[in-house]
Amino acid sequence: MSTLKHKGKGPQSMTANELRDGFSVWLDENLDWTRDFTKALRTEDTDLIDRMHLRAETDEKANLVVGIYFIDIEPETGLPARYREKFRVNGPSYDTADVLEIS
Amino acid sequence: MYRYDEFDAQLVADRTRQFRGQVERRLAGRLSEAEFRPLRLMNGLYLQLHAYMLRVAVPYGTLNSEQFRMLAHLAEKYDRGYGHVTTRQNMQFNWPKLPDVPDMLDDLASVQMHAIQTSGNCIRNVTCDPYAGATAEEVEDPRPMAELIRQWSTLHPEFTFLPRKFKIAVTAAEKDRALIKAHDIGIQIIRNAAGDIGYKIYVGGGLGRTPIIGQVLREFLPKGELLAYLTAALRVYNRYGRRDNKYKARIKILVQETGIETFTEQVEAEYATIDISDISVSDAERERIASYFAAPDFETLENDPKAFTDALQVNNAFSLWANNNVAAHKAAGYAIVNISLKPKELAPGDITAAQMRDVSDMADTYSFGELRSTHQQNLVLPHVKQSDLLALFTELQAAGLAADNINLITDIICCPGMDFCALATARSIPISQAIAERFADPERQRTIGEMQIKISGCINACGHHHVGHIGILGLEKAGVEFYQIKLGGDASEHAEIGKVTGPGFSQEELIDGIENMVDLYLKQREAGERFLDTYRRIGIAPFKEVLYA
Ligand code: HEM
Ligand code: SF4
Repeated sequence: MSTLKHKGKGPQSMTANELRDGFSVWLDENLDWTRDFTKALRTEDTDLIDRMHLRAETDEKANLVVGIYFIDIEPETGLPARYREKFRVNGPSYDTADVLEIS
Repeated sequence: MYRYDEFDAQLVADRTRQFRGQVERRLAGRLSEAEFRPLRLMNGLYLQLHAYMLRVAVPYGTLNSEQFRMLAHLAEKYDRGYGHVTTRQNMQFNWPKLPDVPDMLDDLASVQMHAIQTSGNCIRNVTCDPYAGATAEEVEDPRPMAELIRQWSTLHPEFTFLPRKFKIAVTAAEKDRALIKAHDIGIQIIRNAAGDIGYKIYVGGGLGRTPIIGQVLREFLPKGELLAYLTAALRVYNRYGRRDNKYKARIKILVQETGIETFTEQVEAEYATIDISDISVSDAERERIASYFAAPDFETLENDPKAFTDALQVNNAFSLWANNNVAAHKAAGYAIVNISLKPKELAPGDITAAQMRDVSDMADTYSFGELRSTHQQNLVLPHVKQSDLLALFTELQAAGLAADNINLITDIICCPGMDFCALATARSIPISQAIAERFADPERQRTIGEMQIKISGCINACGHHHVGHIGILGLEKAGVEFYQIKLGGDASEHAEIGKVTGPGFSQEELIDGIENMVDLYLKQREAGERFLDTYRRIGIAPFKEVLYA
């Protein structure tokens, strides 16, 4: 679930959307935002989690991203635990623009 | 045709300019997201699962070719080359970028369009029979009345912060193509025994997590009293509607909890306190608005011209399309043409920029420059000469818009679901595609006859699944999508909420199950029965049997 004070279980990732373009992003190991989830930092280290939290809040205040929240990660697969978040990582399974190759 | 009057033009211009400033301040960090969010929603801009989404209002589903070309321009310049027609007759763009949105709104304003009232707890965009002004079934064109409501409700100070959003639908025909009984208020223009035109008012309908069919609030309201009466109804709602719980805040819950008799008494009591002359609209004003919708200059023609009937004889594809997609027009020699946005390969309701331009050209050539969007997520060219139908059909074929499946099993209503929507619990587009694939054979579709399948990706029911002959609701449990089936829903003037069959299905089971139910219907049906009729006659049990076999 979207929780900021991550009450979540297991490894955590931090996610948000870019303010300008709206795309989903995750914090990577350098605490920069990436559109590529495979580069996302996934950790149980509470110090790191605190730093992620701080970084996300700072960037939200700096108007780089909106809607920051932690997501639970499945330790076995490294993927988000919730179905919605798994889905968000991949983008739409269908998009008319892709089917027709128009953009 | 809807056009702003000066008040609107000023308002939209002010709004667009304000919003440009707000976006600039947001991007510069002078507005926080908490401050900005309500402002962007007021201008139709949502943040979805993967990106922003802009919802453009199409008042009562009426568009001219110039406006549709502008939507094509937006799709191409600022989005990914296509748009999506919604069940509220609006158009959504799935991939706009925040800095572009003020330009998009400016472009829209240049053709008298906007995205106001597509969000928020206000009176939303009024929806309407897409055949308005064209069908012989109507008492009169309902759009002037829809426009009157729009002008009255736009930023109405008393009704800008209702307990919850408020949706009004209107029709002037007995045959309901606007789903008026599933709206907060539904209005049917009728003629009483004395021959006077007035309004039958329904209240308290809605879909969403608590689906309810609207009930009659007033059997006959004289013509001049509409706005005063709506004011009374909205005041009662504003006063007693629940603000403590957003799931109980719609007027349908208030009507249900109060009971229709008491609710009606409350409205009538409030109405008695209103000085009708304060709010009533003068005949002159009504005529001014009606003049925007003046019928085009129809030629004096005969029905069934030879060119048309000959073409029906020799051109089988044309004949199948004309039989299924074309409806009777009030003017002799004309026809109403439905353009299906449900080709097998694409998501229901999606249309490319190139196709939007093609349809705009066709509207100019064949339909007085007019077109409509429908809550079934299709388009309509309202005024086509029968003698032009073959030429139009040929152009539609070239544009990939000649699917002859209107009202058939592949004419599916489908919300964006998890592929785009932040609130979804499951995908809906792949389900509609799997059904379209399974029933691809056009001959089989025609054998099955009228069938309305409607799919929503969560309980908000944007895909109208409660009123589908077969309704499908996407849910998720432990990371797996599954789909619940409802049977026997009806979106027509005989509106009804479908019944849940029982536990849900995986996608494969679902498609097999639908096929089994269709086969059962084909075996059991009596002459002239649609799926829905057979279901009503034999009941849910035999269908459950083949579903859960
Ligand atoms: C993708 C962004 C969308 C969001 C965030 C969204 C959100 C919602 C929500 C929250 C509700 C429930 C409202 C309530 O009754 O409390 C709702 C209802 C509805 N929406 Fe959407 N929706 C979206 C897209 C659509 C689309 C694409 C359509 C048409 C295909 C649509 C048409 C409707 C309709 C017809 C209802 C029926 C509600 C009723 O009568 O109670 N929406 N939507
Ligand atoms: S029904 Fe649910 S999933 Fe579908 S568009 Fe509406 S809110 Fe989104």
